[in-house]
Amino acid sequence: MSKLGQVIESIEKYNKFVLDQVRRARTDQQFGRDLLGRWNDIKAKTPITRTPTGLPLPRLALPEIDEPGEIARYLFGEGFPGEFPFLNGAYREMYLEPVRGVESFEKNGGRARPVRAGLASGAPAKKLPQAEEPTRLFSGLMLAEDTNERFHYLTQHQRTHRLSTAFDGPTLYGIDSDADGVFGKIGEGGVAIDTVEDMVRLYDGFDLGSPDFSASMTISGPAPIIMAMYIAAAKRRFGPKVVPKLRGTIQADIFKEVQAQNETIFPIEASLRFLTDMVEFTTREMPRWYPISISGYHIGEAGSTPVQQAAYTLSNGFAYAEMFAARGIPVDQFGPRLSFFLDCGLDAEYIALARVSRRIWAIGMRDVFGAGPRGQLLKLHTQTSGRSLIAAEFKNNLTRTAAELILAYMNATNSCHSNSADEPFTTPSEEWIRLAAHGQAILLEESGIFKHTMNMLSGSPGMKAVERAVELAILDEFREIERLGGVLAAVEDRYQRSQIQNAAHRYEQQIYDGTRPLIGLNRYRNGSDDIPEVKLARTPRKKQQLQVDRLAKFKKKNAEKAKRALDKLAAVVERGENCLPALLEAVEVCSLGQITGRLQEVVGRFRPMV
Amino acid sequence: MASPIRILTAVPICDGHDSAINTINLEFIRHGIEVIYLGYHRSVGDIVRAAIQEDVRAIGISSYNGGHVEFFAEVVALLRKRGSDIRVFGGGGGTITHEDAAIMRRKGVDEIFFAGTSLDDMVKFVHQRYGKPRGKRTRAKRSDMELAHKLSEIEDAYASGKKPLTLNARRRMSKAEAKQNQTSNIKHQTSKVIGFTGPGGAGKTTLIDELVLRFLHQNPKGRIAILSHDPSVIGEGALLGDRATMINSQDDRVFMRSMATRGQAGGLSPATHDCLALLARSGFDCVIIETVGTGQEAMPFRKNGIVDLTVLVMNPDYGSRLQLQKIVMLDIADIVVVNKSDLQRARTAHTEIEQRLQQNRRGQRLIDTVAKRHRDPGVDQLFDLISMVGRDRSEPDWHQACQTRGREKS
Ligand code: B12
Ligand SMILES: Nc1nc2c(ncn2[C@@H]2O[C@H](COP(=O)(O)OP(=O)(O)OP(=O)(O)O)[C@@H](O)[C@H]2O)c(=O)[nH]1
Ligand SMILES: [Mg+2]
Repeated sequence: MSKLGQVIESIEKYNKFVLDQVRRARTDQQFGRDLLGRWNDIKAKTPITRTPTGLPLPRLALPEIDEPGEIARYLFGEGFPGEFPFLNGAYREMYLEPVRGVESFEKNGGRARPVRAGLASGAPAKKLPQAEEPTRLFSGLMLAEDTNERFHYLTQHQRTHRLSTAFDGPTLYGIDSDADGVFGKIGEGGVAIDTVEDMVRLYDGFDLGSPDFSASMTISGPAPIIMAMYIAAAKRRFGPKVVPKLRGTIQADIFKEVQAQNETIFPIEASLRFLTDMVEFTTREMPRWYPISISGYHIGEAGSTPVQQAAYTLSNGFAYAEMFAARGIPVDQFGPRLSFFLDCGLDAEYIALARVSRRIWAIGMRDVFGAGPRGQLLKLHTQTSGRSLIAAEFKNNLTRTAAELILAYMNATNSCHSNSADEPFTTPSEEWIRLAAHGQAILLEESGIFKHTMNMLSGSPGMKAVERAVELAILDEFREIERLGGVLAAVEDRYQRSQIQNAAHRYEQQIYDGTRPLIGLNRYRNGSDDIPEVKLARTPRKKQQLQVDRLAKFKKKNAEKAKRALDKLAAVVERGENCLPALLEAVEVCSLGQITGRLQEVVGRFRPMV
Repeated sequence: MASPIRILTAVPICDGHDSAINTINLEFIRHGIEVIYLGYHRSVGDIVRAAIQEDVRAIGISSYNGGHVEFFAEVVALLRKRGSDIRVFGGGGGTITHEDAAIMRRKGVDEIFFAGTSLDDMVKFVHQRYGKPRGKRTRAKRSDMELAHKLSEIEDAYASGKKPLTLNARRRMSKAEAKQNQTSNIKHQTSKVIGFTGPGGAGKTTLIDELVLRFLHQNPKGRIAILSHDPSVIGEGALLGDRATMINSQDDRVFMRSMATRGQAGGLSPATHDCLALLARSGFDCVIIETVGTGQEAMPFRKNGIVDLTVLVMNPDYGSRLQLQKIVMLDIADIVVVNKSDLQRARTAHTEIEQRLQQNRRGQRLIDTVAKRHRDPGVDQLFDLISMVGRDRSEPDWHQACQTRGREKS
């Protein structure tokens, strides 16, 4: 049986285990009493916080149950936030405001470390700064210096700097700004990066080695080359000692590229091999780096159903785990370095999609891959759905995004990107970005929905119903993939692609036959076909030319050295060695396109799937 | 009945937003339109070349990553420069503003569909705008366009039930004639014609594309034509997607034409024979035809003398030995390829097929390939074999030659 088959079994087994515990709690009196004791103890020890109006609330909300069977169902079936199987959250305190007027506070078992403020036990502080704001906004535009300016704008009020980088089309496809036919695309939709020099400009003024800085990069096909450029840029600015300190995430998820985002540039097997090289390298040299972000976002945005999104993402994740383990990387090294990225739209499934995903991941990683606690955590970045945002009466998009944010937080996402209302038109302009970012702050900081109490909105009967239905549906999808011979075979068979395309087609049909109400489009339309005045972010031709000229200079300067570096890289890849060390040398003197081209000579080009 | 409307769709270079176009493709074919889909991340040159070769009525472009004003305009300009009458339309959700669209229309784009347009409206537009039969066309400026036009005429003639144009292609030239023509007029020279057939999904298209790569590499001036087929029902649309996956065949030296079978059983279109015959005397060094099937009807041209060499591409997962007995093509093909020999069953498949071929005693060759692998030695071997055909087309004694060559190689 493949690993995915084993995962299916492990979930079924675990669910049976939970039922057994419930039964035992009801029949085995000693066991039942122990559980009840533990339950009451935890309730008693839960700190109480006071809202600004003086209302006392527990910092952790738990269901009103006192029957051992139900307690067992809760403890084993979902777990407290920060406890296996992590249905309610990967960490204990998440969005909670730092302790202010805590009435009774005891160190709560000391299990999981909260993401938020280092809660010095019992020390009531007045205005603790939050340790890490969950806000992380995706941005990239024009040339490196322009994006750099945007980064500084975005982080001006933040203590921690978590940058999320969007690259332009040529970069995403691993080609240079001077390539045939790409003029006009330079700096559109993201930032243009051709060389290590661009990379230096991109993060100028940020302290890349600081524990308060992290850089996320949304790129997959050429990820190993771009990551090498990042490392090289950091070394140029801070010296070689900075490498182990680098924090960040690079998307690098190849399966979902083939399934949904269409930015694969090497054949699948070669791409997977380069990815594994990267994971091997970073687990050794850059322990704080996340070398892959296993992404369902693009699958969802390409039009899949939420269940397809979760099922494909998780099965992709398990396939990666299998691959990395096969390379000989210990699960306790790579497990904690895997991170996830999911979409959050308005369909009912999103009430619990990420919760269920977190549980499946934890069980599979523990019981099939033998991962320790840190390797069981599905650490999640969520983005609200871009596709749910429409052009007609576009200001309604603010409401859509707000609703999606609430859903994302109900699923206890670890970080979040909220889309701007002008999403359908252009790279968001500052006005709308600001509103999008403030949307998060309003929900988390201003409103009392999430800041006082963990689990504030968890566990409603409706949520439970969604959880059950979604889990069953995900397992069904796993079975189908397993039947097709596992993830890689299903991908090569275009299984996920064709499923996504059919779902997307149905989605669009439903819009136009009215099954899917879209306010302002097929319902309550105001009649006038108003496409709003939006400020379009376009890259001026002069800027594009500047990028091309810079690249020409770089290539000329390094022509001699580039040839040698590329030869060396090609030889390393031919021999089947880890390509990262040679890549690190190559990026010093070669452009992205030069490296991609040479690698393609060795391993071939990706043959697109339709 | 008139021919279905043929449209080419694509997504511009550096753009992978294919969700909209996939949906639109599905909707078009549901409404009787034949769609040749070129895929995403496609350059202006690739799009225009493909549209001209396929002789579509219009190109539908879906663009999201910006630069659409320039991109659409460049497509129109290049079409006009080539003297083509192919029209251009498209969309890109909210990224294409009304002002942009106005400029694009001025530059010759027929229509831009904004976010919120219903799928019905787009289908209606295509039927209304591109549904009327084409008027008489002036003689094409370029030979590939002329060839494309002639292929359309053949298809149209069959579709309307008229007798096809007098092509007189069934008769093959005598050797003497051919030799004489070699020096005089390239138009009458017959090309080497190779037929690829086999069960659906065996890897024929991938294999052909890999062979094209080698061909272009080895013949810096050589030209090649590909005639590919996809099944469709009469009066309905079809999605012809081979071009999207054939990365090596997007080249000025490759002329590719995609045909829907339009209801004919056996993997061929009613017009296939005449189209193939036309291609065979259009000055290509090599013409490749791909059809789906394992029965005689899938590649009937060997008997007619059009096809010089038949290659059967097998998938190792054909089932039991009993299944193998039913495959007529195994007796007819000159070369049998077991593709996907990376799969587990490949060894067994090889042995079983080898035994079957030995019974035939025709010196058929059996080759294992992994078409999806870069620089696969099996594909190299197949390429060498095929390259030998055609020097003397009377009765290939290449079997002998290849066998020794094959041995030297391994
Ligand atoms: C889905 C989506 C994605 C998916 C794409 C999945 C896929 N395989 O297609 C994912 C998540 C992968 C993605 C990635 C990116 N995206 Co995107 N994406 C979108 C999104 C949300 C929806 C587009 C869509 O498919 N809509 C559904 C279609 C069916 O509806 P529609 O767009 O309204 O189109 C209608 C008509 O225009 C018409 N139509 C469209 N095309 C055609 C063609 C023809 C021939 C016809 C007749 C009609 C027609 O049909 C539709 C029905 O009415 C838009 C924002 C938005 N809300 O529109 C951003 C958007 C297009 N993406 C954008 C960007 C920047 C990117 C990235 C470059 C980000 C990055 N740096 O990594 C990447 C690049 C991906 C790539 N490979 O190129 C930007 C483009 C900005 C710009 N041009 O200035 C947008 C506008 C978002 C934004 N504001 O930033 N994206
Ligand atoms: N495992 C494996 N898969 C292959 C190989 N060659 C092709 N494929 C895959 O097989 C599938 C079908 O390939 P195509 O080349 O489209 O096959 P085809 O025979 O032309 O298919 P139809 O025209 O639809 O009948 C694709 O997903 C290819 O990636 C191979 O050598 N090994
Ligand atoms: Mg094919």
